[in-house]
Amino acid sequence: MPNPLVLTKLHIPEVRRGLVPRPRLVDGRARTSPPRLTLVSAPPGFGKTTLLASWADAARTAGRAVAWVSLEGTEQQPTAFWSYVVSALDGAAPGVGAGALALLRSANPPVEAVLTLVLNELSARLEEVDLVLDDYHLADGPAIADDVAFLLLHLPPHVHLVISTRADPALPLARLRARGELAEVRAAGLRFTIEEVAAYLNGVAGLDLTTSDIAALEARTEGWIAALQLAALSLTDREDVAGFIGGFAGDDRYLVDYLVEEVIGRQSADVRRFLLETSILEGLSGSLCDAVTQQDDGRAMLEHLDRSNLFVVPLDGTRHWYRYHHLFAEVLRTHLATEAPDRVADLHRRAARWYAVDAEPVLAVRHAVAAGDVELAADIMERSAIGLLRQRQEATVRGWVDVLPADLVRRRPVLAVGFIGSLMSLGDLRTVPGRLDELEQVLAEPPADLVVLEEHELARVPGAMETYRAALALVGGDAAGTVAHADLAIARAAPGDDLTVAAAAALSGLASWAGGDLESAHRAYSLAVTGLERAGNISDVLGCSITLGDLRVTQGRLDDAERTYREALRLASVHEVDGPLRGEADMLTGLSQVALERGEIAAATAYLDQVAALGEGLGLPQHPYRWRVARARLAEADGDLSGAVTLLEEAERVYVGDFSPDVCPVAAQRARVLVRQGRVDEARDWARARQLTADDDLTYVREFEHLTLARILLHQKDGDGTARAAAVGLLDRLRVAAEEGGRTGTLIEILAVQALALHVPGRRHLQPALDTLSRALRQAEPRGYARVFVGEGAPMADLLAAIVERDPTWRYPRRLLDALTGAGPEPRREGLVDRLSSRELDVLRLLASDLSGPAIASELYVSLNTMRTHTKNVYAKLGVNERRAAVTRARELGLL
Amino acid sequence: MNTAATDPDGAGWYEIRLQGRLDERWAATFEGMTLTTGHGLTRLVGPVVDQAALHGLLLRMRDIGLPLVSVRQVEAAEPCPPRHPDTTPTGA
Repeated sequence: MPNPLVLTKLHIPEVRRGLVPRPRLVDGRARTSPPRLTLVSAPPGFGKTTLLASWADAARTAGRAVAWVSLEGTEQQPTAFWSYVVSALDGAAPGVGAGALALLRSANPPVEAVLTLVLNELSARLEEVDLVLDDYHLADGPAIADDVAFLLLHLPPHVHLVISTRADPALPLARLRARGELAEVRAAGLRFTIEEVAAYLNGVAGLDLTTSDIAALEARTEGWIAALQLAALSLTDREDVAGFIGGFAGDDRYLVDYLVEEVIGRQSADVRRFLLETSILEGLSGSLCDAVTQQDDGRAMLEHLDRSNLFVVPLDGTRHWYRYHHLFAEVLRTHLATEAPDRVADLHRRAARWYAVDAEPVLAVRHAVAAGDVELAADIMERSAIGLLRQRQEATVRGWVDVLPADLVRRRPVLAVGFIGSLMSLGDLRTVPGRLDELEQVLAEPPADLVVLEEHELARVPGAMETYRAALALVGGDAAGTVAHADLAIARAAPGDDLTVAAAAALSGLASWAGGDLESAHRAYSLAVTGLERAGNISDVLGCSITLGDLRVTQGRLDDAERTYREALRLASVHEVDGPLRGEADMLTGLSQVALERGEIAAATAYLDQVAALGEGLGLPQHPYRWRVARARLAEADGDLSGAVTLLEEAERVYVGDFSPDVCPVAAQRARVLVRQGRVDEARDWARARQLTADDDLTYVREFEHLTLARILLHQKDGDGTARAAAVGLLDRLRVAAEEGGRTGTLIEILAVQALALHVPGRRHLQPALDTLSRALRQAEPRGYARVFVGEGAPMADLLAAIVERDPTWRYPRRLLDALTGAGPEPRREGLVDRLSSRELDVLRLLASDLSGPAIASELYVSLNTMRTHTKNVYAKLGVNERRAAVTRARELGLL
Repeated sequence: MNTAATDPDGAGWYEIRLQGRLDERWAATFEGMTLTTGHGLTRLVGPVVDQAALHGLLLRMRDIGLPLVSVRQVEAAEPCPPRHPDTTPTGA
C-alpha cells in the first residue's frame, strides 16, 4: 500500500513519555492472555487510545503481535474496512492476509469468504495476535457489524479483538459476557482517581498544587482526562493559580468551552489564527497547513504545538502527519465559525485543491463539498473517477453520484460515464438506462455549457457507452443484444482505446459462451486478449486466458488449452517486475487440470505444489475456489473421496462469481463425488433443489448439471429400471446437443457415461455399450484423454477388458485398463511428462553448469523468482526434486 | 396529551437538554436550533426533519462529551420547514 494516509491508519501510536502510570488498567495485560473481546467504551477524552497504546506495548512485551487500525469514518464501505483490517493482520502476522487481500480486490468481494480465508490462516499459526480497532464507532453500522460478529465468534483462541468506541457496538456482548469472554473498561473505570489527578497535575504537568486545589479540580472535572489536560495547560506559568481554580470550580459552563477559551486566549495571535484556520482539517501536515493558512510556517507550528502539548496527536512515527484531539478541534471549529464565518468556505477550498494535487481525491472532494463548491468537487471527480474505477474503487465513485446535482452531471459527459461505470460495477443498475439515454442526447446535441476537462477522455465516451449497453443486455439475458452493442462499442471506440475494445469483446465472448457458441466466444476472447495485451493489462490477459483454456477443454482440445496457459505464462514472465504476476497461479492450476485430464497425476500434483509455493495471494479473484476444485479432483483421483468433498465444500464457501456463466458449478461437482461415495440420496437432494429433471429442455449453461443428474439416476436403486431408462434418454439428448455445439470434451464424457448406462450388470448383451465406448475412445485417443475413463472404476474396467478382448492390437484401451486396475503406469507420452519450453531448456542448460541460482537469473536477464519458477517447472517435468538429479535425468533423456 | 401530532418519520420540534452551560457559539453547530442556558443546563429547541436527523444531532452531542439529560418532542413554535434531501455537508 503506497498511500501514506493509509499507512497512518495502521500505525500503532507510541506510548508518549510522561504519562500517568495506570497500573490498575495496564498491569495484567502483559501477563495473561486477554479474553476474546476487550471493549473500551466511553465518551471522548477519557484516554481510550492512550490506554490501547499502553496495552499494545504490554502485548508486544509479552510476545504477542499487534494489528492496529485507527478508524476515521471513511471505512463504512465494507471493502475499505476489511482491507484495512486484513492489511493490519497481515502486517502483524506476515502472510495471513495474502489470499484475502487478493479476494478483496475483486468487485463485490464476499466478505465471509474473505474472513474464512483469514481465519484459516490465523488458526494455522501459533503466534498470538491482538487485533485493535480504535474508534470503532466510526465504522459500526449494519454494513460492518454482522461480519465483525462473524469474525469475533470464529477467532481462534490465540487471537484477541480489542475495540475502543464511544457507543457500545452492535455485537453479541451479552453472549460473550455470559461466557466470560468479554473484558470491559467503561467511563467509570477510565476517569482519573484523585490519586491519578494528583499524579497528573503535580507529576506529569509539573504544577505545584495544594491538596485542596487538586480536590477542587477533581470535583469539577469528575476525573475527565481531557478537561484535566486543558486545565493543566491553563495553569502552566499562571500567577494566580488559586484565582483560576476558584473561578473554574465556581462556574457551570461546559468544561471544554471554558478551558479551550482559556488555553487559546493565552496563545500568540499567530498560533491562535493557525489553530482556528487548520481546525477544519482531519489530518495536519506542514505542507497542507501552509496551503490552507497561506503561510509558510506550518511545519514549525505543528512542532511547536507538539512540544507544548497543545492537543495534537502524531499519526505516524516520523511526526509528519498529526491531527487535533477531537474535542479540541470541535471547539476550535465553533470559534472559527463565529469569528470568521465568511472564511470557512475558502479554507475548505484550499484544502480541496491541496488534496487534489496530492492525488487524494476522496478528501479533496469532501473539502470541496464542505466549501459548497460543487463545480470544484465535480472537477476533482471528473479527473479521478476513471482512475479510481481502474483501481477497483468503484464504491468511492458510487458514493459521489448522490452528492452532485443531476443537472451539473448532465453537462459533464466524462463524469457522467464514470458514474455509470461505478453503478454498473456495483450492480446498481436501476438508473443506468436513463443515464445512458440522457448522455446520448447530450452528445448528440451538446449544450452551450458543456464541460470537458480532457478532450481525449471525451473521445472515449461513445465506445464506453455502448460497452455499458452491452453489459446491460448481458445482465438482462439478451445475448443477441449483447453481441450487437459490443460490436457497436468496438466500432465506436476511440483510436487507441484498447481497453474499451477489450471490454466489449469480452462481453460479446461471454454472451456467446453462455449460449454455447464456443467458437465465437473463443474468437471474441482472443480479441479481448489482444486489446488487453496492447494496453499492458497483463493480469487481465491471464484472466481471459482462464476462459480461453476452459473453452478449449470443453471443445476437447487439451493441447490448445495447454498452449494457451503456457503462452500466458510466457507473457507474464516477460512482464514480471518484482516476482510473479497475479494470475500466474491460475495458469498453473489450469495446466494441472489439463495434466489430470491426461491422467498425468504426478505432473498435476507438481503444478499445484508450485501454486502453493507461489502463495494464494498470486491468484486472480476466482482462484481461491478454482484451486480448491483442482485439489479436490486430484484427491478424488487419489481415492480420497472425503478429502475431495471437504475441499469442494471449502470451494463453495470461497466461491466468487463474476460475469462468467457458471458452467461447472461446485455444488454439482460435489454431488458427483457423493455418488461415488454411495451417498446417492444426498446427491439426489441436490438435484431436486436445483429442480433438475431428465425431461428438461437442455441448455449449454446447465449441461454439466444435467450430466451430473444422469450419473445420479444411474446409481439410483429403484428396482424397475425407470431411473436408468431416464438416464439413457437424457444422455442421448445431451450427446446430440454436445455434438451440435462442437463440445467434444463434454461429448467424450457423455459417451463414456452412456456406455456405462447401456452396460446392465449381469446382462450378456454388451454390444451397444461397447460400440458407444469405442466411439468415445476413438474421439479421446488422439486428444490424449485418460482420466474420464480411468476415474470410472470397475464397471468401466469390465467394458475396457471386453474391448481389449475384441481388438487386442488396440493399445490405447489396454493402457487405460492397466491404469485403472493399477497394473501399469498411466499413459505417458515419450517418457517425458511434458515437453520443456525453450526458456526451460535454457535454464536446464545453465543448471548443468557451475553457476549459482542468482548468477543463472542474471545470465538470463530474469528475476530470481522467475528463475525459480522455471526451475520448478523443469523439476516437475523431469520428475525430480533437485538440481543434480535434474541434470542426470536430462542427460538420460538426451536433452543435454 | 399536548404534544405535537406524530409524524411517521419523526419530523417535528424537539427539546434536548444537556448538562453544562454551552456557549452561544455552538448554535451554528446545531443548525436551526435555539440555544438557551440556565441552572447549569443547556436547552436546545428546534425543528428536526426526521429520526435520522435527530440521531445525527445526538451523535454530535456525544462526540463533544456533553452529558444528555432529556429528549422530548414539543409543540411546534412555527411550521416545520419543507422536507428536502440533505445536501448540506456536515463539515470535513
